[in-house]
Amino acid sequence: MAKRGKRYSEQKDVRVDFTPMVDMNMLLITFFMLCTTMIKSQTLQIALPTNEKVDKTEQNKAKESEAITILLDSDVDENGKATKEYVYFYEGIPMITPDGSDSNLQESEFLGNEDGAARGIRAILQNKNKDVYEKIVELKAKWKAKEFSKKDEVNDSIYKAKAKEIRNDSTLTRPVVIIKATPHASYKSVVTALDEMQINNISRYQLDRITHDDSTMMKPFWDKRGKK
Amino acid sequence: MGRVKTEKKKPFIDMTAMSDVTVLLLTFFMLTSTFLNKEPVTVITPASVAEEKVPEQNLLTVLVNPDGKVFFAIAGDRDSTYSSEKMREAILKNAVKTYNDTHSKKIQLTNEDVKTFGATYMYGLPFAKLKEWLAMPLDQRDKYLDPSKPEGAGAGIPIDMNKDLDKPNEFQIWMRAAYNTDNDNFKHAVKTGMGVAIKADASTPYEVIEVVMDNLQTLKMNKFSLMTALKTEED
Repeated sequence: MAKRGKRYSEQKDVRVDFTPMVDMNMLLITFFMLCTTMIKSQTLQIALPTNEKVDKTEQNKAKESEAITILLDSDVDENGKATKEYVYFYEGIPMITPDGSDSNLQESEFLGNEDGAARGIRAILQNKNKDVYEKIVELKAKWKAKEFSKKDEVNDSIYKAKAKEIRNDSTLTRPVVIIKATPHASYKSVVTALDEMQINNISRYQLDRITHDDSTMMKPFWDKRGKK
Repeated sequence: MGRVKTEKKKPFIDMTAMSDVTVLLLTFFMLTSTFLNKEPVTVITPASVAEEKVPEQNLLTVLVNPDGKVFFAIAGDRDSTYSSEKMREAILKNAVKTYNDTHSKKIQLTNEDVKTFGATYMYGLPFAKLKEWLAMPLDQRDKYLDPSKPEGAGAGIPIDMNKDLDKPNEFQIWMRAAYNTDNDNFKHAVKTGMGVAIKADASTPYEVIEVVMDNLQTLKMNKFSLMTALKTEED
């Protein structure tokens, strides 16, 4: 027993130098930090009509007062990459003077909000979709105050269901937005236009191909921009 | 002079606490990380307010670079019956079969080739180069997919405005092969629009995207999603 006690007293405080260990860990952390993706991409859902030939009479024509057509175009640099984006729009049917110099086409811009107020094309779309938009704003206020349920998830799901109901309510005047992009228009502008539909709660919109009328209407604007 | 002689001693800093912290961080990063998949071209996606996240399983990503070169990547099911590797192998076999049925120049693949394809995340070459490409070592394969390298001049899956599905173009062959695997979860994802995602650079001209969209429409995959980055309504 006495021998054992002696051995204990001989033991010294063991100090392990952790510096190399820390060095190695830091290296590994750096590696993992650089190789990971923290931010995941989001997705924007779209549904296109089938390519099959549809009988013209079966196509439901949009009411003139409700229709708004957005034309997208971009300037391109020598590599074919889009540089500056342009947004044009007209309400109802295209109206062009016989010589093609004037039409009901107007120029606008993707501007976003300023101090909570919509600007550019968003203001125009919001105004068109006033009925729905006002109701959604009301609903949003209730959702923020958690009036539907104290539980976040339930609150969210009730809000989403109600918002969908309002968006698809056929008793309200809802616009039909037709988005058309020229071959040169950037992908970004198409996504931004589709995004405006989400922001303004527009449920009826479609992507369409550019027609001859559309190009004729854009011609004066192209001339102004110096596009060939 | 009465200078106080300080006892010179090697300072010993206790690194144990530091080591604890770094190990903790390391564990965090190891557990939360999903590795970046190697993509032959870097694209910067446009921004939108859409908040839905990209699914990790059962996803077919169509990558389009600004020049209109098309690549695709498959992520399989969580269930190991249709893991990413098995999905890719099944798609390859399926696609090659369709290609051989519709073209006079046949492709014969070995089991080794199929395995290599299963391990590759993203693919984008014409069928004519497929066999040759699969036999290359890894670094060579990467080069042949990258359009910015001289070897990658022929990268991209051939695509056109073909509407006749009896004579499908190569893009349509691949998409149909993907849809026709026995993975029902993937089929369901495609139907709801979550299964196919287009990832393209913000500056890509619309005509390039339109071709891809038109092909998907022809294949009756009318619902799909566009990959975007997040932005707020204020922007």
